[in-house]
Amino acid sequence: MYTKHFPKKIQALLLSAALLGASGAAIADDIKIGFNSDMSATGSADFGISALAGARQAADDLNAAGGVLGKKVVIVERDDVGAPPKAIQNTNELVDNVKVNAMLGGVNSGNMLAWLHIVQQKKIPTISPVATATDITNRYAKTPPNYVFRVSMRDRDQIALLAAYAARSSQSGKVAIIADTTGYGQQGAKDALEILALHKITPVANEKFGPKDTDMSSQLNKIKASGADTLIVYALADSNAHVMRSLEKINYFPTTLASWANLSSPFLRIAGPELAKKMIFTASITEDSSPQSKTLYDTLMKRDGRVPTYVMAAQAYDSVKLIAAAMEQAKSTDGAAVQAALQQLSQAQGVIKNYQQPFSADNHEALSVKDFRLVRWIDGKVVSVDDDVTRKITPDDLKL
Amino acid sequence: MQILQAILSGLAMGSVYALVAFGFSITYTTTKTFNFGQGAFLALASLIGISAILLVTQGKLIGFPSPEDVTWGTFLFALLAAMLVLSLLGFVLYVTAIKHFVGEAGLSWVMSTIGFGIIIQNLALLIWGPAPIAVASPLGEGIITIFGTGVRPQEILVFCTTLVLMIVFDWALHKTKMGKAVRAVAFSKSTASLMGINANAVAIAVFVISSALAAIAGVMIAPIATASVFVGTLLSLKAFSAAILGGLENPRGCIFGGFLIGLLESLIGLWYSNLREIAVFGLIIVVLYFRPAGILGRVHAEKV
Repeated sequence: MYTKHFPKKIQALLLSAALLGASGAAIADDIKIGFNSDMSATGSADFGISALAGARQAADDLNAAGGVLGKKVVIVERDDVGAPPKAIQNTNELVDNVKVNAMLGGVNSGNMLAWLHIVQQKKIPTISPVATATDITNRYAKTPPNYVFRVSMRDRDQIALLAAYAARSSQSGKVAIIADTTGYGQQGAKDALEILALHKITPVANEKFGPKDTDMSSQLNKIKASGADTLIVYALADSNAHVMRSLEKINYFPTTLASWANLSSPFLRIAGPELAKKMIFTASITEDSSPQSKTLYDTLMKRDGRVPTYVMAAQAYDSVKLIAAAMEQAKSTDGAAVQAALQQLSQAQGVIKNYQQPFSADNHEALSVKDFRLVRWIDGKVVSVDDDVTRKITPDDLKL
Repeated sequence: MQILQAILSGLAMGSVYALVAFGFSITYTTTKTFNFGQGAFLALASLIGISAILLVTQGKLIGFPSPEDVTWGTFLFALLAAMLVLSLLGFVLYVTAIKHFVGEAGLSWVMSTIGFGIIIQNLALLIWGPAPIAVASPLGEGIITIFGTGVRPQEILVFCTTLVLMIVFDWALHKTKMGKAVRAVAFSKSTASLMGINANAVAIAVFVISSALAAIAGVMIAPIATASVFVGTLLSLKAFSAAILGGLENPRGCIFGGFLIGLLESLIGLWYSNLREIAVFGLIIVVLYFRPAGILGRVHAEKV
């Protein structure tokens, strides 16, 4: 009995070992792209969920077309719960254990900045599909090769478009700024001040409010008294909604311009559909801006039933497409080779646009102010603003 | 007109600070402790309120209520549900995190109440998630214009509710048996016990009342500030400042402090918004320098 069973056990062991080896080899053979973002804990979690949906869809589309370098593309996601220590832990795990070939960043700039040194040291090409802080792509710009790229909207580029609109739309030339006291709001206010100066506009008022404030009527009353007919707001989604509610309270409706933070659904819910309409803000794409965009939106909707912020999904989709194109061009998944290929990428087809040399050694931003549009919420949808002012804006107006 | 606008806005926010500050005051005077997790209690109350409205109108507990869902009936139900749950929680807080430390030297109760608050906040985060939830006012979202300045009906409601509650509590504290018992325990727990007052029952009662006040503040403020896990932290910090500024041991002082901070914030915003927080906390430091027990507080000689 014993002699009979023993070889069978060994056989079974050998068989399962072989199977494990085979599946292990298959996983090792995949191209793995890490995705490290908040998807549950902060107000930006919706952005992370949307970006992940976009990245996964890009992988599915690539795999349906035969994969990259004949290999399957897999997105390996980790939730950083909005906490920098968790974001660092995720990155170490993705780089050292999962052995990802590339990384996509998260939604909070601060979190992403916390782990960039890891991917830079380990030579993992990284794209930020959402986070907007200037320093993300700048930090290693002076010590090339810089492994960090972006397919998103840098804050300063967004403000350049807002300032161009303000300069064209203001009748009285009186423009005011209001921003929250977070790093995001204050950097935005500083950039706005500098870019308005390029248009020879000195704001008639520059006000602040706390990030948890819900009544800004005192500050806005001051702005009203200054005679401003255009207002640039730089704050997060829920604060922007409270600014709109406070404007309603004092019955003052200047042309109100803001960043893409307003894409976040809390803005629409807190301000309500009527007040939300009055805010003009930036975006890189809308679901109906092109047939390809419409197709991606419909596919995502069919799969998940909802896309909280479509723009983030589109940017993450394009980020994966750019990584894939660079790997094809480099004919390798080696980090250094892919980094070099990204910098010399001749072209890649994305959903936001057809990228022609999106990056160079000096420029790690795939999108710039020229690629942005102004949008507003109409009937629960983000719609491009097409008015006399937007039609008059020329490339010369986009001062940086 | 600008000044009137600032005054109206300041009174609305100030009344919320006053409500929560009063809650700090009554527990402090009777037990020399208070709930440092009051902000989490307030946030939880606003979220329970949302769930109560959703339960009645949409038959679910988590989601976003539409403006039509908020009627007087659903709003009052939300208020009652939040008060009931929070009163119970106030009792649990007292038994688990406060009772053992009452009358003891040391600051263990500070940590235990902060810990209790953090547990509540994280449980709420697990259940309701981080997104702020907008909720309409039962009075509608229109703007009422008074002498050319705009005010939301909910702001008037919050102000009036606070005023009525404060008058009722002031009367109850000074004129009813229960109020006298509370004041007696506050004056001297041992003497009150000798007089046949159940000091333990009084302590439980004040924690229940304090938590119920946080519940009222949380539900009433939701249509103004939205309901979210994070809404209470700053509100309770301002309320705590109001209590210290007015005089933690004097309930009337706390209410006065609440309105004072609300008005100050709003009026300084009108002048130079960058100075707002500096002015509020600067004033607190200056007041405490000259009057360590707060504007309306009285310094007692400590007996050892």
